[in-house]
Amino acid sequence: MNLTFFLLLALILFSAGLVAVMSRRNLVTILVGIELMLNAASVNFMAFNFFTAPDPVVGQIVVLLIIGLAAAEVAVFLAILMVLYRARHEVDVEDIRELKG
Amino acid sequence: MIETIAVSFFALLAIGAAVYAALVRHTLHCIISLAVTLFGVAGIFLSLGSPFVAAMQILIYIGGISVAMVFALMLSVSLARKVEHSFRKVVGSIVAAGAFFTAMAVLIMTTEFPVREEPAPAEQWAVANIGHAFLTNYNVVFIGLSLTLLLAILAAVLVAGREEEPS
Repeated sequence: MNLTFFLLLALILFSAGLVAVMSRRNLVTILVGIELMLNAASVNFMAFNFFTAPDPVVGQIVVLLIIGLAAAEVAVFLAILMVLYRARHEVDVEDIRELKG
Repeated sequence: MIETIAVSFFALLAIGAAVYAALVRHTLHCIISLAVTLFGVAGIFLSLGSPFVAAMQILIYIGGISVAMVFALMLSVSLARKVEHSFRKVVGSIVAAGAFFTAMAVLIMTTEFPVREEPAPAEQWAVANIGHAFLTNYNVVFIGLSLTLLLAILAAVLVAGREEEPS
């Protein structure tokens, strides 16, 4: 198992997330795609951390930062989703066009 | 040998579940296969030498984020409904992601990375080092992350708990 194997694994995860984000119309599945892309970034950081970094602490800190930011993002995203659903009974991104508060 | 089998297993688990999550039409199946992907990635972290980050991945991602997404789904979208895909969008996004994949794969294959001779010594991987770094050199990261999480939770409660004003 070398560095290239883990980088290709992360690339496949990122591409799957890209397909999910671009092809979906449902906000929840778009969020799933974003999480897949964030995880691909985490795998990349851990792989470089293991194979090339002089100090293995830094990569782990970056991955913990990514996990924390993803938790914050999901909290706000789900709150917006619930407000949208209550107001319109729909979470289709093609139908959410106006910015009236 | 056994380690190679374990890494291949976790990698196949992560890839299969990620592709399934990207293509399946049922929203709840999509979230569950995301949780399976996260578990596979946690196994990859374990094989990359960090049991602490793998435990955090399972605790926060699978235990927190996936469960929150399932709860939000139960409170809003009806579970039985399948979301219709537009065939043109699916094909177009697969073509675009495939082009990106090919370009990046060629780049990864042709690059010479400065790989270290032997892995870092075991005492550098101790969990105590992470805590020490968080409270000394990377203290700003720690405080900033805490404040971001606090603000995000407050904002989520304020936004989701807002009453609809009668129109």
